[in-house]
Amino acid sequence: MLRTFRLFLIASFVAATFGVPATPAGAAGDTILFGSSVSLTGSLAKEGKLTQEGYDFWKDYINQHGGLKVGGKSYKVDIKYYDDESKPASAQQLAERLIDQDHVNFILGPYGSGTAFTVAQMVERKKMPMVEGNGAAEKIFSQGFRYTFGVLSPAKKYLQGVLDMAAKRKPRPVTVAISAASDAFSLEVQQGVVDYAQTLGFKVVYSNKYPDTTTDVSSVVSAIKATNPDIILNAGHLQDALLIHKGLKEQNVQAKIYAYSVGPDTPDFVNSLGKDANFVYGGAQWSEAVKYQGQAGFYKSAMDYANAFDAVYHHRPDYHNAESTAACLAFQYALQKAGTLDSEKVRDALQSLDIVTFYGIIKFDSRGLNVFKPMVVNQIQHGKLVTVWPEFTANGKPMYPAPPWAQR
Amino acid sequence: MGGITGNRYAIGLVLFAMVALLGVPALHNDYITLTFRNILMFAAMSYGWNMIGGYTGYVSFGNVVFFGMGAYCSAALSGHGIDNLVAAVPLAMLVCASFAVVVGIPVLRLRGHYFGIATLGVSLAVADLVNNLDVLGGSSGLVLKQADQAHFWIYYYAMWLVAIGCILGTYAIARSKLGYAFVAIRENEDAAQVLGISPTRYKVTAWALGAMMAGAAGAVYAPANGFIDPSITFAIDNNVFPIVMAILGGMGTVAGPFIGALLLAGINEFLQQKFLQAHTIFFGATIVLVVVFLPRGLMYLVGLRGGVRRWFADLRVFRV
Amino acid sequence: MQLFFQDLVNGILAGGILAVVALGFSLVWGIMNIINLAHGAFIMLGAYIAWQLFTSLHVDPFLSVPVAFVIMFGFGYLLQRGLINRVVRAPVLATFLLTFGLSLLIQNLALMVWTSDTRAVTPVYSGANFDIHGVTIPWAKVATLAAALLITLVMYLWLQRSKMGRAIRATAMDVGAAQMVGVRVAHIYGVTFGIGAALAGAAGALLSLSYSLNPSMGEPFLIRGFVVCVLGGLGSVEGALIGGLAYGIVASFASNIDFTLYGQHVSGTGLQDVVALLVLLAVLIVRPTGLAGRATA
Repeated sequence: MLRTFRLFLIASFVAATFGVPATPAGAAGDTILFGSSVSLTGSLAKEGKLTQEGYDFWKDYINQHGGLKVGGKSYKVDIKYYDDESKPASAQQLAERLIDQDHVNFILGPYGSGTAFTVAQMVERKKMPMVEGNGAAEKIFSQGFRYTFGVLSPAKKYLQGVLDMAAKRKPRPVTVAISAASDAFSLEVQQGVVDYAQTLGFKVVYSNKYPDTTTDVSSVVSAIKATNPDIILNAGHLQDALLIHKGLKEQNVQAKIYAYSVGPDTPDFVNSLGKDANFVYGGAQWSEAVKYQGQAGFYKSAMDYANAFDAVYHHRPDYHNAESTAACLAFQYALQKAGTLDSEKVRDALQSLDIVTFYGIIKFDSRGLNVFKPMVVNQIQHGKLVTVWPEFTANGKPMYPAPPWAQR
Repeated sequence: MGGITGNRYAIGLVLFAMVALLGVPALHNDYITLTFRNILMFAAMSYGWNMIGGYTGYVSFGNVVFFGMGAYCSAALSGHGIDNLVAAVPLAMLVCASFAVVVGIPVLRLRGHYFGIATLGVSLAVADLVNNLDVLGGSSGLVLKQADQAHFWIYYYAMWLVAIGCILGTYAIARSKLGYAFVAIRENEDAAQVLGISPTRYKVTAWALGAMMAGAAGAVYAPANGFIDPSITFAIDNNVFPIVMAILGGMGTVAGPFIGALLLAGINEFLQQKFLQAHTIFFGATIVLVVVFLPRGLMYLVGLRGGVRRWFADLRVFRV
Repeated sequence: MQLFFQDLVNGILAGGILAVVALGFSLVWGIMNIINLAHGAFIMLGAYIAWQLFTSLHVDPFLSVPVAFVIMFGFGYLLQRGLINRVVRAPVLATFLLTFGLSLLIQNLALMVWTSDTRAVTPVYSGANFDIHGVTIPWAKVATLAAALLITLVMYLWLQRSKMGRAIRATAMDVGAAQMVGVRVAHIYGVTFGIGAALAGAAGALLSLSYSLNPSMGEPFLIRGFVVCVLGGLGSVEGALIGGLAYGIVASFASNIDFTLYGQHVSGTGLQDVVALLVLLAVLIVRPTGLAGRATA
């Protein structure tokens, strides 16, 4: 027993330190292999799943339509996934694994700003192009990284559209309250609101942050109520948006506009709150209502994309789905333009990309950030998501102001 | 056999493995190197916990605070343009040891569970404080300058040195009078006091020694990772895994934490590759099975006399 | 002044639920010496029981509380007798590790069963409130507090008066002596762990009203449970209540502290946990066995 066990231990040490690990064949022959670590378990499991759906939807489309033509040769595409358990440290290690062990050709981003940041640092060292659609913090793009590209509009813009829309309402709202979860993304959203509100002539009467693991926001709500604002904004995540919205009703806080950076666009928000969800606005990277005419090679309009997506996954795509698919599209058109799988040339092609898709414009500034695409504002009306801003793309008018709680 | 250092063969095995690990960056790709660097890092943290939890028997639930402080020491230096591990590691050890002494004097007066909770409270409070301190990057975190790809192996060997320092340090302490004093406190604190061992002094010493180990690991981790924020450095995993590893390998032994770290990280890695989503279920199940069949840790099996029958007989005493 | 009273009310309302969260955790720890890291997962299960009953059968969440209590009691009892009992006399950290594994297992099985979608229980009266001199009080939270107080009271009386309660307390003091006078320790341990799980389940069902559900929702409550049960005193029913209310009130007031220090804006909202934890440390140092703790620990 004892001897066998000791031998086993020695053998496993030797195997661990010297053994050559079995290396799966990576981008063999006629397949382009993408790799991504997404959060399939842990606190971001929902968002991670939406990301994965967005990627998979693109992959299936390409493979069903004869593959991807690069430099005259047609390739199948495949995506290798790992679960980062919603932990940034884990995401970095898994991305390293995708590159060194699985020999993926390119990296598709993980979900979340913190996670995207750690992976961005790693791909930079490896000179491996990554396009991500789920990390909007500008911090990622202010480090001079050359290999990371983000298809989404920066965090600061998330709620600025709501303010633009508010400025055009009659009677014009005057005061703004904003609370933010203490994480990099939400704090940037908050900063964006505070700066922009002043330029539009709003008065910020409350601006504060709360711990991102909070379980009780009633005191935040009380403090907001004490300032009696016209516009109540929150920069945070789905869970916080639900907590705060419930809290606002419980304490009977009446404002003209309620808007959340993340939350109202996921179906979970309406499912959880029922009719209390009505009249709530949300900043969104994309909605079904956007009216772009995309170029050939994929679904051209948002509506076509949404309908096809619904047929496969049995729910309407939200902007997390769409921005993930858009990250794939950036690769698709950059690869076709580069005509090669060479990572340096693909990087250059990404840098000079300038396309219009169902998702909107995809074009990167020198930092790798897609600042050219406007964000939209959605409002929940009668339990449905309606795009109300900007006016040229809207499919409905804002219902303003929000009526008293009892009448919703 | 081996007194309070634990099984001699096991220690030999660990040292042999450490020598073998020297070859990893040369023989393997970056991913494998990173994986082993993480194992070395968790091993160092586990040794840090083992000092207080394993030797003096004071179960700390807050040792992650030292790992985090070490990481932030490194980052603070980097912010002042000093990207040098030779400066960062000693600074981190000094800061962590001082913090351990200052906090330890009141907190280590508490016994048993109350000590555990107090340490948890300290670690949560420090993490939240960092979250709110803009000088330390707040919740947005800090970016550190990293060595380039060609010199990236530096971090691996730095972590190796930290780990070997922890192993040899633990061995030396366990064989010294200090080690015996720790164990005396663990076995019977009141009796130890009667024998002239000042419990508070020795407990604080053990905690500070453990703090230095975790702090050193944190100081190397920060630049190796290139970015730290409170959710990364003070992560629950960084708090729980070192404890789990020490228990798995064998608490209060020299070889235990290393073996535990290698095993746990190995299992985790294997499952993560094999099962995309279900790996966490299997990981949980593995831990449950290991506890049910090996509640004394793996080192117990190394020292077992009498085969499987004895093993199962030993298990029965834990039931009521 | 109005904000002061509102904060006080918010703190008390939040504290009641924390008391129930901590109570089960505290009993299991104090009586069986098991630090149950799966407690958060049990809370999550209780919340999902309430959600499932609400969505499939339109059962009011308050009526689901006893259901969750009973189901989780059975689950906890069986778990203790079948699994945890095997290592219950091993060093305390063996059970610590075991419950860590269980927590991973349960959380991720829940992820498979209920998916990662965020859920909520929103009955018609959700958000209804009344007003006393400008302090707004939501009915659902008042009812939650009342239920929490009732549960605590019943637990207190049961432990003090019933035969089983006395046997449990005897076992906590001295296992050997209890065995000698004919207490079936294995059964007692099963009941204690079952009660711990049942209280977590009840807390989860109550939480389903104010909080939203996902498989990892229990984690922040586990940590707060840790702090609250020590704040009050380990294994003590009245302690859990005092600790829960103290935590709730301190965190509530802390979150509305707002001042400027050396040009740096200090916001209490971000620091509410820090303040609560500093209070914990202060209490521990002054009274090492908690606010309501007895001399023996």
